[in-house]
Amino acid sequence: MVNDLKDLLRANVSAPPPDVLDVAAVVGAGRRRVRARRRVRLSVAALATAAVVGGAALGWPGDDGLGAEAAAPPAPEAPTITLADAGRAVEGRDYDVLTSYTNDDLDSDNGQYLDGVTDDGLVLFRDGPRRGLDEARLALLDPATGEKDWLPDSGIGSAQAQPVALTRDRLVLLAPVDDDADEGATLVAHVFDRDDRTWTRLTWPGAPEVSPFHGRLGPDGRLYVLAPATQGAVPEGGWPTQPGGDAEDADAEGDTYDLWSVSLTDPTDARDEGLRVGDVAFTDAAMVWTDRTNGDPGRVHVRDLASGEEHAFDPRTGERCNLLGFGATGDRIVLSQYCGTYGDVRDDRVQVVSTEGEQVVTLQDTGAEGWLPPGSDVVAVSAHRGDDRAGTYVYDLVGDRFLRVSDGVSSWSLGGPTGDPRQVMWHTPENRGRGATQWLGVLR
Amino acid sequence: MSGRDETAFTEFAVASRSRLRSTAYLLCGDWDRASDHVQEALIRVYVNWPRLVRKGGELAYARRAVVSVFLDAARKRSSRELPAEPDPTRASGEDVAASVTDRAALMAALATLPDRQRACVVLRYFEDLDVRQTAVVLGCSEGTVKSQTARALATLRATFESPALGGLTVNGARSLPW
Repeated sequence: MVNDLKDLLRANVSAPPPDVLDVAAVVGAGRRRVRARRRVRLSVAALATAAVVGGAALGWPGDDGLGAEAAAPPAPEAPTITLADAGRAVEGRDYDVLTSYTNDDLDSDNGQYLDGVTDDGLVLFRDGPRRGLDEARLALLDPATGEKDWLPDSGIGSAQAQPVALTRDRLVLLAPVDDDADEGATLVAHVFDRDDRTWTRLTWPGAPEVSPFHGRLGPDGRLYVLAPATQGAVPEGGWPTQPGGDAEDADAEGDTYDLWSVSLTDPTDARDEGLRVGDVAFTDAAMVWTDRTNGDPGRVHVRDLASGEEHAFDPRTGERCNLLGFGATGDRIVLSQYCGTYGDVRDDRVQVVSTEGEQVVTLQDTGAEGWLPPGSDVVAVSAHRGDDRAGTYVYDLVGDRFLRVSDGVSSWSLGGPTGDPRQVMWHTPENRGRGATQWLGVLR
Repeated sequence: MSGRDETAFTEFAVASRSRLRSTAYLLCGDWDRASDHVQEALIRVYVNWPRLVRKGGELAYARRAVVSVFLDAARKRSSRELPAEPDPTRASGEDVAASVTDRAALMAALATLPDRQRACVVLRYFEDLDVRQTAVVLGCSEGTVKSQTARALATLRATFESPALGGLTVNGARSLPW
């Protein structure tokens, strides 16, 4: 009898032993690896005060401790600091903790979370969804007393929701509905009227599918969302893989989106802003955006919302930098970037520029990720790394202070918008990394 | 990764893991190690998921990851293990003829192949990849795939030339299919 190779190969795998692969464990490990790498749009921030990293203290490229060997990351074209330049923040002197919450084992089940802070100081507290609770329930937690005011059923169900506006009048949560489209999701917002204690579900038939979780509330009260337009190309055969299994995608082409805005009171009011952007952010007086995101950001554009005047500048990010996070406040713009790996050294950067294009400061260090919550003056920097510099740091855009508030970062993506420009949220690992404690504090 | 992406990844992992595990088993010859390889490969897929989804090459990337993990593990093993003289009797026609089944004979014969030759056989004749696709997965030239595959098939055929096994064909033909 003659054997066919293909038949024999298939026969050999026709009766495999039971598969014990735990997909949840894979997801957990993947989350940790992603976060150890970058791309987590961090929850955020922390507090502190004290050590001042003023302009005079800032070093220029070449003396920043990253080493001068040939394989070292290139120096940014800006005053540069590293994690080692941070001062230690002291509770009671530099910041105060307003509240905290611990989930001991998020590996085994979902838990309870601090999802943001209202502008009158209450914490949006979310329970679930988890085993025994199919739909998340929400409360407003008073950090002073610990009391929770449980809200009526939101109707959000088990969907992920992103708070985009938490005010004394209303809570606005985005919960886009995935239509199994290749890109984008149907825009859905859930608005809670705090006086009437009622929820309203808003959809906009005239709006396109949008990128989930990219909503920004503009100073005009409209919700600005991003409709996928173009995607950066992936090299034939995929990105090169680093020894640890990560893709090396520095200097990616970047993605673009069409900017739309919708009214939070009128579902017939959806407007194409006629602008193709990468990422977008607002200050009280300006809209700022990049040409692209998740890759080379291109130029930064600034539009004065009062006069309509615009200007643009080259942010002088590095040649291989991918824009991963973008925010703005006052006359400051924050760009979080991944700029390639050199041997064992990752070139991660958190760059602060002025709205006029001046280089304010760039934090350059392995594993550093920055996030500026809307309306905040404090950049939260998480350092995901395996050495003694891991932890959460904060850069105070008002005082130019750079402080370290924790010595570890949990593997989870936690937090949300803060209600006061001086507030910060951060999280630390618990139970050998299986759980996390979230902290809400305020800079003194 | 967004919740939406994570749900999509989980669905992909559940749907693809059996196939990937089979591939990994044919590469390494051990189901437990195959599971470990698939787990590591899926973690790598997770890390790159957002971009993979856009490109539509999730399964191809996952397959590449499995092969990469297998080759990495093989390199690590070989660097830790003491080199041994090749056993000229192993997988000879006589030994394999003594195997209980033809399937076992094939696995024994595969085990004698160098890692990349084995990967060529598995990718070409189990995953049904063409020469170009196999070259992409292995990160080598098409010419290398052809030569490695030819050597591997010659070894396998020699093994199966025992009267007890009755020979080995590829798609019913004895010529190489390219």
